[in-house]
Amino acid sequence: MTIRLPHPGSLVAFAILGLVAGGFIALATFDGGTPPLLSIGPYLGRVLAFSVIQAALSTVLSLVLGIGLALALARRRFPGRDIVLATLGTTMVMPTIVAVFAVFAVYGRSGWLAEALAFLGWEEGFSIFGYPGILIAHVFLNAPFVARITLDGLNQVPAEHWRLAATFGFTPVQVFRHLDWPVLRAELPGIAGLIYLMCFKSFAIVLALGGGPSRSTLEVAIYEALKIDLDFGRVAWLALIQLAICLSMTGLLHWAFTRPPVGHTIRALVRRPDAKARSLKIADALMLAIGVLFIGPLALSVLTGLRNMVDVLGADLLEAFATSLAIATLAASVACLLAVALASAARRRRIAMRSPRVAALYDFLPDTLLAVPPFALTAGLFLMIQRFADPSAAGLILLPLINGLAAVPFAYRYVAPRLLTVEERYGRVAASLGITGWAKLTIMDWPALKRPLAAGFALAMALSFGDFGIIALFGGTELTTLPYLLYERLGAYRLDEASAIGLFIVLVAFVLAHLSGRMSHAGD
Amino acid sequence: MLVIENCRLTWPDFAADYSLSVKAGSLCAVIGPSGGGKTTLLHMIAGFETPEDGTLAFNGQDLMPLEPAKRPMAIVFQDHNLFPHLSVAQNVGLGLRPSLRLTADEKHLIAEMLDSVGLHGFASRKPGEMSGGQRQRVALARALVSGRPLILLDEPFSSLDPGLRRDMILLADKLRRKRSVTMLMTIHTPEDVADVADQMVFVADGKVVASGPPAAVLNSSLAPRIAAAVSDS
Repeated sequence: MTIRLPHPGSLVAFAILGLVAGGFIALATFDGGTPPLLSIGPYLGRVLAFSVIQAALSTVLSLVLGIGLALALARRRFPGRDIVLATLGTTMVMPTIVAVFAVFAVYGRSGWLAEALAFLGWEEGFSIFGYPGILIAHVFLNAPFVARITLDGLNQVPAEHWRLAATFGFTPVQVFRHLDWPVLRAELPGIAGLIYLMCFKSFAIVLALGGGPSRSTLEVAIYEALKIDLDFGRVAWLALIQLAICLSMTGLLHWAFTRPPVGHTIRALVRRPDAKARSLKIADALMLAIGVLFIGPLALSVLTGLRNMVDVLGADLLEAFATSLAIATLAASVACLLAVALASAARRRRIAMRSPRVAALYDFLPDTLLAVPPFALTAGLFLMIQRFADPSAAGLILLPLINGLAAVPFAYRYVAPRLLTVEERYGRVAASLGITGWAKLTIMDWPALKRPLAAGFALAMALSFGDFGIIALFGGTELTTLPYLLYERLGAYRLDEASAIGLFIVLVAFVLAHLSGRMSHAGD
Repeated sequence: MLVIENCRLTWPDFAADYSLSVKAGSLCAVIGPSGGGKTTLLHMIAGFETPEDGTLAFNGQDLMPLEPAKRPMAIVFQDHNLFPHLSVAQNVGLGLRPSLRLTADEKHLIAEMLDSVGLHGFASRKPGEMSGGQRQRVALARALVSGRPLILLDEPFSSLDPGLRRDMILLADKLRRKRSVTMLMTIHTPEDVADVADQMVFVADGKVVASGPPAAVLNSSLAPRIAAAVSDS
């Protein structure tokens, strides 16, 4: 009799579910259980309302600016277009805490705008806290994402369609209706849903720019319940509500939008017949001007860090850099290991065991990790291990783990499609030769998996390196990452030092993301 | 008569210089190695590429100053001819009116045209629900319904099975005769058109190397180069 070991992917899936469930149970049963939901009702109502409204406004504004920019960039060729595209690409990988710095630097009390207005004699001053700051930061981070994805989508329109449009003599309206709109309609629900989800659970931006207890998202509320009140019962409730809302949104997203936005083809440049319309020339110029005026200063503000680079180079920066790098490397390893295990389990279910429904569950699991509130999970796990480890040691264990889990969906998108393709191409040959298990992984899968895995690893590193999330709980003199250092300097209004640290973070994140992009496109 | 005289186009890595004349109402097959400039020739006639100098005229009308939409020409590509979000009838309707505000007469015309390419009852289908051959029939119907006297076909049937490819060429040829339009067709497999084409043109290195009756071109001293071009693709 042989005992069949479960597939590593099944073990991973159960481990993830177990961790999440265990964390919740630890929270809910700590110190006499949870208070009734009603006791936090009014507060919860305010937080929910704010989360919903700011996320909706952020999404709409990001879509309008992003789509406008994408269409203008698709229609126009002009000197500096490459710089605009590169800036959009950089902004996409900009960590949220750096975006917070940019908002302070441009729109803050002594920011560029205030200085310019003072120079013109307007000394009134204005506050960016609350909606303005949050919306600016969210749109700054998300509009470039919308623009790039939309532009990639528009570039997928076959060249033949543009030539047909020219021979039919399509008007600008007809071009939009038959060429642009089908692309937008296919991409928009997914992008909009993703941005809404990200803004709904926004943490660093809302924490730094909210400016009041009622101006917080659920994520910030969970953090405050932990850090300030140590009220684990309330954390459990808030986390459950956050989980329920985000899970239903990811569920909707997952099934409405299965095509992952990875990769883009470069096609021969085709003249768009609507480029000549005068009304569109004016509209595009306006759109580009708005985009450049809005994104330009925010992106440039980070570059001012260059002149302060030498001042901040000290022991604490280097130590924070080393810690960030170590956490990012571990987190990326966790993300890639879990992604490969889950993806190979999904593949086995889909092809060898012919159960696409179970496979779909495996595919969905990484996305559900987007819905789990990291602070609540951290708190729950912390309660579980606090007997065995002191806080800074717990931080060293939990930071890579939580960051790694958060990066699984991104790594999974690189790995899973490739594993399926390999199986479709060589699966039968491997089966007929009796190549299974470890041999199959090393002979058949690894050569094809190397590059997407490296791309996923680099992206996961970039995400983790710039992340200002649960480090807010553990950060201090004992344990400091670069994003935490930046947050500290921002809190102390030391913008010069903050700019240098911000630039440093962006550079590393950008190099990693660039590597990721290179590796995901090479060899195809 | 389609007249092309010393039409020159230059790119950093490619140069073309075309001279060719095609009799009105005839079927002209354009063959040659891939990358030799067959498609560029068609794109130039269609107005997607603008020659630096030379003459390009059809039935006495100078095409050079005209936008693609104003040229007396319709085009069928190898792929991506149809807009996936529009029905078959709407896709054909684009050849008549890009606004798709079609009159009853025009709708009738579209139905007739669909019948003549063997797609009776397909009007409300979406391209995604059809085979590759059926989609090319729709594209052919649209090119014909526009009533434009010159039809360019760029490898129109190359992705179809050999038997089907031959059927489609015969269908295109039948409709050409019936509606007396001029057809210019690039093709990888000269033997498929040798008996129906009035003229065959061998294009290589951006130039028209030979032009004449198919039998003459195929049996000329170019035969080895033609064979090489066919096996290459």
